[in-house]
Amino acid sequence: MRWRHAVFAGLILALTPIAAATEEAGISVRDAWVRETPPGMAMTAGYMVLQNKTSRPQVLVAASSSGFETVMIHRTVVKQGMTGMEHAPQIELLPNASLLFGPGGYHLMLLNPKRTLRAGDRVDIALEFRGGLVLPVACEVRK
Amino acid sequence: MIAAVALAAMLAGAWLAATYRENSSRAILLPDQVMTLFPAPRPLAAFAFTDHENRVFDLSRLKGKWSFLFFGYTHCPDICPTTLATLARAHENIAKSTAGAKDVQFVFISVDPNRDTVGKLGQYVTYFDTSFLGVTGDDAQLGKLAAQLGAAYLVAITPGMENYPVYHTAAVFLVDPRARYHAVFAPPLDAEGISRRFEVLRELEGPKAT
Repeated sequence: MRWRHAVFAGLILALTPIAAATEEAGISVRDAWVRETPPGMAMTAGYMVLQNKTSRPQVLVAASSSGFETVMIHRTVVKQGMTGMEHAPQIELLPNASLLFGPGGYHLMLLNPKRTLRAGDRVDIALEFRGGLVLPVACEVRK
Repeated sequence: MIAAVALAAMLAGAWLAATYRENSSRAILLPDQVMTLFPAPRPLAAFAFTDHENRVFDLSRLKGKWSFLFFGYTHCPDICPTTLATLARAHENIAKSTAGAKDVQFVFISVDPNRDTVGKLGQYVTYFDTSFLGVTGDDAQLGKLAAQLGAAYLVAITPGMENYPVYHTAAVFLVDPRARYHAVFAPPLDAEGISRRFEVLRELEGPKAT
């Protein structure tokens, strides 16, 4: 059910015209946001829609941020009726396709923020693709 | 008539809970994929947790109110904050309904008491909604309630690993004011999907659930 939902959401988003896209070498990112951290918590998640506008697969291999000590690519999975997270060492973006990083699916796990983040703040994240391309992404902090 | 209502709901493009009234008195809740209702709600057996204000949270605390229960842990960047934010919006919706939210409570049950002290739990849950309760207990007590609800969890404490993995059922369980397991909401959850169905259920159950 969760995955069907994620796929539908991905399809709908893929059909939506791109607004305010950060563009570089045929890969764009939109609707990038980071969840505000509850008090005392040293972790949160980042979400976005990635679009590969090239005719070749693109492989996301790493992410980093000046605002967090550690950034990991994670995926929320359901196993034996239990929800958990697993590390995704790399994610392949299919040619001319979109990939949703959204609640309950792929997300960037952001650990140990360097300052307290409040809704409205901005977090800079760098996505690194195979071949050396680094895509800067400006994320809005939302509650 | 039931078929007609179901068809209308499908034509509307959504699996909305809908009421059907027979002779202006009896109403039913149409089954759907969001909420599973138990025709014979199961009375829950005793368990004992501690809430975020250091009070005992046991079976008696589930009586007299509808309780939405969610198992999770605070070191959870994705599904727990997503669910708690959804439940906070569902609570807002219920509070705006005619019957209000006085007979409703939301309880976050931490399956990770090793890291989730009562102080931390309080800070965490009240960030989402000041009325939310955070509770936890030892593994035996957590297991007692989880087993009755069909919930599962696994805390993979690993020596030397600060962010050890935790797995847990992501459904939201609804316990009625007689402390009976009455319904379960399956993920992916949305606030309106929960509040709309709950309001119908509460109206249907009325005094017999309390």
